[in-house]
Amino acid sequence: MAERCAIVGIGQTHHRKVREDVSFAGLLREAGQRALDDAEMTWRDIDAVVIGTAPDSFEGVMMPELYLADALGCAGKPIMRVHTAGSVGGSTAIVASHLIQSGIRKRVLTIAFEKQSEGDTTWGLSGGRSGGVGAGGYFAPHLRAYIARSKAPEYVGWMVAVKDRLNALKNPYAHLKVPDITLEKVRDSPMVWEPVRRLESCPASDGACAMVLTDEAGGDRAPHKPAWVHGTAIRSELGQFPGRDPVNPKGGQDCAADVFAQAGITNPRKDVDVVEMYVPFSWYEPMWLENLGFAEEGGGWKLTEDGVTEIGGDLPVNCSGGVLSSNPIGASGMLRFAEAALQVRGQAGEHQVDGARTGVGHAYGGASQFFAMWVVRDTKP
Amino acid sequence: MTDTDPQVADDGPVRFMPQLISLDYTVRTNPVAAAFGEALADGRITGHRCPSCSLVFVPPKGFCPICTIETTSADEVVIEDRGMVTAWTVLTPIQYHGQQERKDYALASILLVGADGTVGQQRLIDIPLDEIRPGLMVEAVWAAPEDRVADDRGYGLGTAIDGWKATGEPDAPASEYEGHTL
Amino acid sequence: MRDVAIVSFAQAGSLVDTAESETQMLLPVINAAIEGSGITRADIGFTCSGSADYLAGTPFAFVANLEAVGAWPPISESHVDMDGAWALYEAWVRLQHGDVDVALAFSSGISSRSDLGEVLCLQNDPYYLMPLWADHVSLAALQARALLDQGLATEADLAEVVARSRRNAAANPSAHPDVRAAGDLSVDQLLEAAYTVAPLRAADCPPTTDGAAAVILVAGDRAREVCDNPAWIRGIDHRSEAHYPGLRDLAHAGSARLAAEHAGVADAPIEVAELAATFSHEELLLTEALGLGADTEVNPSGGALASNPMMVSGLIRIGEAFRQINEHGKHRTLGHAASGPCLQQNLVCVLEGDS
Repeated sequence: MAERCAIVGIGQTHHRKVREDVSFAGLLREAGQRALDDAEMTWRDIDAVVIGTAPDSFEGVMMPELYLADALGCAGKPIMRVHTAGSVGGSTAIVASHLIQSGIRKRVLTIAFEKQSEGDTTWGLSGGRSGGVGAGGYFAPHLRAYIARSKAPEYVGWMVAVKDRLNALKNPYAHLKVPDITLEKVRDSPMVWEPVRRLESCPASDGACAMVLTDEAGGDRAPHKPAWVHGTAIRSELGQFPGRDPVNPKGGQDCAADVFAQAGITNPRKDVDVVEMYVPFSWYEPMWLENLGFAEEGGGWKLTEDGVTEIGGDLPVNCSGGVLSSNPIGASGMLRFAEAALQVRGQAGEHQVDGARTGVGHAYGGASQFFAMWVVRDTKP
Repeated sequence: MTDTDPQVADDGPVRFMPQLISLDYTVRTNPVAAAFGEALADGRITGHRCPSCSLVFVPPKGFCPICTIETTSADEVVIEDRGMVTAWTVLTPIQYHGQQERKDYALASILLVGADGTVGQQRLIDIPLDEIRPGLMVEAVWAAPEDRVADDRGYGLGTAIDGWKATGEPDAPASEYEGHTL
Repeated sequence: MRDVAIVSFAQAGSLVDTAESETQMLLPVINAAIEGSGITRADIGFTCSGSADYLAGTPFAFVANLEAVGAWPPISESHVDMDGAWALYEAWVRLQHGDVDVALAFSSGISSRSDLGEVLCLQNDPYYLMPLWADHVSLAALQARALLDQGLATEADLAEVVARSRRNAAANPSAHPDVRAAGDLSVDQLLEAAYTVAPLRAADCPPTTDGAAAVILVAGDRAREVCDNPAWIRGIDHRSEAHYPGLRDLAHAGSARLAAEHAGVADAPIEVAELAATFSHEELLLTEALGLGADTEVNPSGGALASNPMMVSGLIRIGEAFRQINEHGKHRTLGHAASGPCLQQNLVCVLEGDS
């Protein structure tokens, strides 16, 4: 029988285009210190550290766990570095939770980060060669295929952008804030990767996110109400083969089915109070709503259109402003996991969903082929 | 190995010091990619048919990723240099160190006749951006023989094909391109 | 802790200037590990891999390696940008939950595509150390110098390590062909060679090696059902120390000692230890830090000095420690892995057979 895992501390940085006031190490420590303060712990109290980030070549630091060991208090301690593409922030939190659930460690600090300003992500993505298509160029055909298949009206993409940008105004840590956002403004923003417009895309951010995870005893002693892990799941599938469907990938379906079964969720639309999902381009909201089983196939966009995914709707999605508002790539997945936990702890501040008790965090990566999810609640499993 | 741009510090306090790091890699073209490259230089597109599941992969990988068995030259098949657009996007190139693209351009996934999977990120030639659609039939515009260089990693078609132009045939039906979004 | 055993190990441990892609290199290795394990691919409940994008020279290089696993239908899978020994650690952690019984851990690396002396500089603190372009051999030489200066070893001691490693490598078909071809060299002969970076000579440094390895882990009684002589993981732990060489006592491998304590190395005698000592002096540091006595046989495979596929070398050490139990009937062995400049990170895995 696995040990219970509590989330007793959560911290994140102010995400910005350029955090010139901190080094890599300073960025991680800012998030880590906030998580430790929340848990009323010090760096000394931590048994093990698990960090996660996107490819090293985005920032020019190979195996950053080596350099970061000093700043993260890891002299004499175990530190690991997870790398599962865009899903890495989620996978990193899951590896940390496994260290607790296996009974091997009692107090684990997990931090995911990206300092895009100190490297060149598009250069990194292209492997240093000309003609790199970037993430948007890669995913754009999948979005068009979804639009064609579901017959969703064009304005649904704009609606997601407006919702997430309005939500970001309620999140003091969010990077991109567009106070006068309107459907027209999204519609009139330049087309970058047909059918993706500039305001339907995520920014490039510097930022980090951290969580302190403990065993059940640690959760019972926590100074602030903890969130409890009720399920974790990861799935990977081949990136390209004949007949693979990147619009509704099986890996995402399986990941959701697995994590919901662990948490006893039979009707996700009804049983889940708040969702933080990985939406770097607006159309991914309706696509993932279907992929994860919150809507039937072809019906995801109707939830968005009906306002179901707004704060105050039936199934609020990305109340934090999501990846569309802050995208420190390696941290973006962990931010989803952490925001879901903040919600069930009642600590989400202005973007809190009243009475949220069951939250879902989701991240994806690669060619829509890596998936990580967890379900957290305000009560023990 | 290191190149620091002295001009950046000219105005006000130093905020950033760009340090361009260059690392040299020697990628030896693997034997399967090398054979594929030789065929391309001859004007032929080849693939491997998995002896277990019969799917044809272009370019060949030297194995079937679904059955996890090796494939060899004995499994080689020749593919037509003609097929249908299954997915596409128009890119506004982001500028980064080494980027040579400056203008908007279209890239498409193309399902070649005789292949089971698409070749991705292919240039379309002489096709107005607003006329690109799934099912559009296209054929290869080959580069001059001396310019046909395969990708050293075995990805894509290298420089062997300048791009793809419309054949004028009727569009393929949706049933043929659905399921090939990648 | 739940009992978890290694039941199968396969390697392509000493490829030279391979032209194959990492995926092509991995496919037969993973297939061999699965075939040797008595389980089927569908039985694998968790997969974890290790590799480094910077060795491949391509971001997301590990994504292509998924094609060697057979990830369709989708699988439960994770990746660390670390030596495969840490992938094995993550797999062992996952098996502790009880809902999954079989795991695959593997890793791969092609060191020959680049100059490690350049690439590994990027492991150093990007602000203060990296601009110095202090390469890993020079940093290792600093550590060797610290040993010599403190009177803990002599250059002849380093040559002894090299001579034994080469003698052992001669019998290991998975050792680097150049090392095997060089044949026996006496301590005196070794000491005649010029320094590469004093006090290290070329033979004190590992050969550039490409390679891949894979292990199958099985939990509980199932391990005995599929394997005649499984190697049980009795203790496994990993520790880091400070990154800055100036903050450390380079004459002692402090984090290796801590990992050994937490892995229970001292609980009973170790018959054979396979150490990822990539430089000769590191073996002396590690033998002391792990508390290994004169009756422990060290690196019968020839160790990392005889074959050092980066990202794989540590996993191979654990695999060789498994073989000592599985094939040679030893009872208690140890596999070690390391990462970073001057043995910054160390992992220790203690294995026991049923006999």
